[in-house]
Amino acid sequence: MDVRLIVVTLQTLLPVLYAALVAVYGITFFGSAPVLEKLKHPALIVVIVLHLVFLVARTVLFDHPPITSLFEIMTLLAASIGGAYLYLELRTRVHNTGLFVLSLAFVFQTISSLFIRDLLVIPDYLHSRLLGFHVSAAILGYTALSISAVYGLLYLMLYHEIKSSRFGIIYSRLPNLETLETMSHRSEAFGFVMLTIAILVGVVWLPIVFKDISYLDPKLIGTIAIWCLYALALAAKRRGGWQGRKTMIVSLVGFVFVFISMMVINLYLSSFHTFH
Amino acid sequence: MNLFSIGISHHTAAVDVRERMWLSTDETRQAVTLLKERFFDECMLVSTCNRTELYGVPRDASLHHADVIATLLDLKHVDGSVRPEHFSAWRDGAVLNHLYKVAAGVDSMVIGDIQILNQVKEAFQLARDAGALGPVMNRLMQASLHVGKRVRTETSICEGAVSVSYAAVELASKIFADLSRKSVLLIGAGETGELTLKHLVGKGIGSVRVANRTRARAEALVTELGGEVVDYEQMAEGLRVADIVITSVNSPTYVVGPDDVQKVMRRRGNNPLFIIDIGVPRNVDPAARRIENVFLYDIDALSAIVDRNVQKRMAEMPAVTHIVREEMVEFLRWHKSLQVAPTIQDFRTTLEAIRAEEVQKNINRFTPEDRELVEMLTKRIVNKILHQPLTTLKQGAENGTHGPDTVQRIKVLRELFGLTKSESHGD
Repeated sequence: MDVRLIVVTLQTLLPVLYAALVAVYGITFFGSAPVLEKLKHPALIVVIVLHLVFLVARTVLFDHPPITSLFEIMTLLAASIGGAYLYLELRTRVHNTGLFVLSLAFVFQTISSLFIRDLLVIPDYLHSRLLGFHVSAAILGYTALSISAVYGLLYLMLYHEIKSSRFGIIYSRLPNLETLETMSHRSEAFGFVMLTIAILVGVVWLPIVFKDISYLDPKLIGTIAIWCLYALALAAKRRGGWQGRKTMIVSLVGFVFVFISMMVINLYLSSFHTFH
Repeated sequence: MNLFSIGISHHTAAVDVRERMWLSTDETRQAVTLLKERFFDECMLVSTCNRTELYGVPRDASLHHADVIATLLDLKHVDGSVRPEHFSAWRDGAVLNHLYKVAAGVDSMVIGDIQILNQVKEAFQLARDAGALGPVMNRLMQASLHVGKRVRTETSICEGAVSVSYAAVELASKIFADLSRKSVLLIGAGETGELTLKHLVGKGIGSVRVANRTRARAEALVTELGGEVVDYEQMAEGLRVADIVITSVNSPTYVVGPDDVQKVMRRRGNNPLFIIDIGVPRNVDPAARRIENVFLYDIDALSAIVDRNVQKRMAEMPAVTHIVREEMVEFLRWHKSLQVAPTIQDFRTTLEAIRAEEVQKNINRFTPEDRELVEMLTKRIVNKILHQPLTTLKQGAENGTHGPDTVQRIKVLRELFGLTKSESHGD
């Protein structure tokens, strides 16, 4: 089969597939649908596999891994979030939060599918092993921070329901507060470590390829600010007796900054992180 | 169909009346034996704190409810305090409908009660051990247990706590991941508080502490449930180490104020604290609810949860009724036709056994060439003998006239040909 056809088809199809997954997880979350309940896990696996096929096909077609533009990164991030959620479903007893986590994968994949371009020629400096390390760490980090934010949000919703004695669907379907907090916190800690690695590798790689790099570039400052925010949050939890609600809010705020940094700074403000 | 039932329950009698009709295991066994001897081909008796009910297949289809009630009243020597008006009575389809609803837990005082199914199962087993079950009641036992199981898996009639103490436990498991790693402190020792503590212990709570003004009471509770006694005056320290606090103190003023809670929260590193205030008047100042990571519930808040859950269970009633109807249809279908089937099967097996035995005994008298012929010939004779009675029996069931005639024929057939042993195997 023609590789280009695969790429084009899946590029269009993936947002639809993620939307369908979100719908299936949504229906099983809000109501009772035994058939969909059985179907959702295999469906998730199928979508993740198709997404991997898309990534490989694109790599073959354009002769470089999809790490050279923001929108390539976004499809990678969507696949990574989907994969991470699959891992959570397999390894934990939390099986009904797909609606929330996969919504993020859907958003990232949709943005990517809409704006991604065929890139046949890329600058030489993007053919770099260090860049591979940097991007891998960043993708894993952002995936973990996204998931941390989703569970943080779920924690806050459940916390609010329990505190205000309004027991709705959130109360009956979500796992307990402690589990949500642990999931959010562990993801955040993992994301923080990955973000640290991504920054270190990035800082080593930058002067090698950009001779006149300014260390006051908005991307660098923004990323360092995000790193500091997470560092403070983790320290506050460990040393300052921060528990529950406050740490979850930080996780959410951190994610908003991550998103802004990724979209706004990368696209409009940064001198070196824009690529194209 | 010939089913019969009478019973006294929370619908028809107050607890002081019901308790007089309550039967212990031994009494139930005696009663079942006596009633079977006097009135029934098959019967069973279920007796719980909310109901004492008899189900059976009467020997005489025109058996009067009053006769059975009088026998039961005699048996319990209740001298006028329990009257026939306290009893309900059902026949045929209505018996099925009622028994299935009982097994489903929707006839219980607390709708969706999960204990009743076990009690029904035990009652059937007791009757079976007493030799009081036959094919119909055996089938009824399986069918009602099946109804109970279906209702539990296919509907959410049993979901959500419907008592204050369970509501508290349910909330605890929505806040904490693993109760075995959490600790509970009970302050005061009221009935609901103790019950909540017992439920938590049942759920495997990690550690138990009890603080009470009367230390002896706390010690008695700790002896029963495990754990340790904390001095009532050392309550603040108890609050620091506990994850769940149940307060049930008889006091006109608040025992714990928001400042106390605030201080404790700082000392416990802001770890979540779940406070169940069962005291009336309340023991914990509701202002403490505003403190972060403090989950404070009083008796009204818990009652509201219970009310909501009861409503949710009520909303499942149509689904339960649907299952009951389906299973009734299934039972009636079995009763109509399958009851003839095992008789036919038994009849065939018995005659075939006689034929095979006789052939085996005499087979050596024939030449090898004739033996096959003997087999064929004897089988043909048996089949010819079977043909007419089986046709009559089958027609009786298929025409929907599975009334006393067919039952009578089955009985006669079983008695004449000695098929009675296999009757107790049911379906």
